[in-house]
Amino acid sequence: MKRLVKLVGGVVLVAALLPNAVAADDKEVIEYRQHIMNALNEQAAALGMIMSYAIPDDNAVAHFQAIALTAKTALKAFEPKVQGGEAKPDVWANWADFSKRMNEFAQNSEAVAKLGAAQGTEAAMQRVLDALPCKSCHDIYRTESKSKGKK
Amino acid sequence: MPKIMRSLHAIVLFFLASTVVLPGSASADDQDTIDYRQHIMKTMGELQAALGQILQQKVVVSPEAFVSHTETLAIAAKMAKSAFQPKVTGGESKPELWANWADFSKRLDELTAYTDAVASAARSGGMAAAGPKLADAHVCKDCHDQYRQKK
Repeated sequence: MKRLVKLVGGVVLVAALLPNAVAADDKEVIEYRQHIMNALNEQAAALGMIMSYAIPDDNAVAHFQAIALTAKTALKAFEPKVQGGEAKPDVWANWADFSKRMNEFAQNSEAVAKLGAAQGTEAAMQRVLDALPCKSCHDIYRTESKSKGKK
Repeated sequence: MPKIMRSLHAIVLFFLASTVVLPGSASADDQDTIDYRQHIMKTMGELQAALGQILQQKVVVSPEAFVSHTETLAIAAKMAKSAFQPKVTGGESKPELWANWADFSKRLDELTAYTDAVASAARSGGMAAAGPKLADAHVCKDCHDQYRQKK
């Protein structure tokens, strides 16, 4: 009888802890994808400063490379279906569309980065909108409240 | 002096005054310089945080994503020196940064070498090879202790 009570107590304890364990993992998933998106935002902002002639273009190609490398990792970061952060639930409800957009972002930004490496800054700058399709996806899949100041 | 000459003088003086570096316009350029270098440093901060989560196994990512993050970190590190070269105090940078430019510059060279080594280790040996190097991020901390305002 005592053994049974201990067993049941243990199961109850584990069950009580499980939601917290899931919550901690979920928080890590959200934070990880935010680190990626924040890195992209910082690089896009830096590139935007170059495009507006606020900053010389010495690092333009490097920024395109940084964006391309990070864009490649972005879709995977959203694969765990963990709602929260600035991601609307539509990300996973419309996964086919969201993933298509992310894949295009990764492919196009890589193409522009390669163009920059091969032909220089000016060639890459002419395709900058291909490398930075941020707004069209954010308008659909990112909550507005926390997006102040971000692309 | 004929009226037209006085008017011409006024016009010439107006344009001369508008080309002088007035406090307002200098501040706008200075702010751009500060903002730009913050975008680069924040990029590194986000990537370091993401890599930290990976090494602590708080998130699971593909080996390719891990390599991408280390390579992006290396790219951002290479941009840092040029971003800090304009002597514009402000943001989180202590004035000592420019007063001790030789030392700060040397530390940025060390940062470039460090992040290159991390990326190279990641490419050849994955997390097992790059992890120990990433864990020893004294290059970042030592420089921040010296040249970054405490938050």
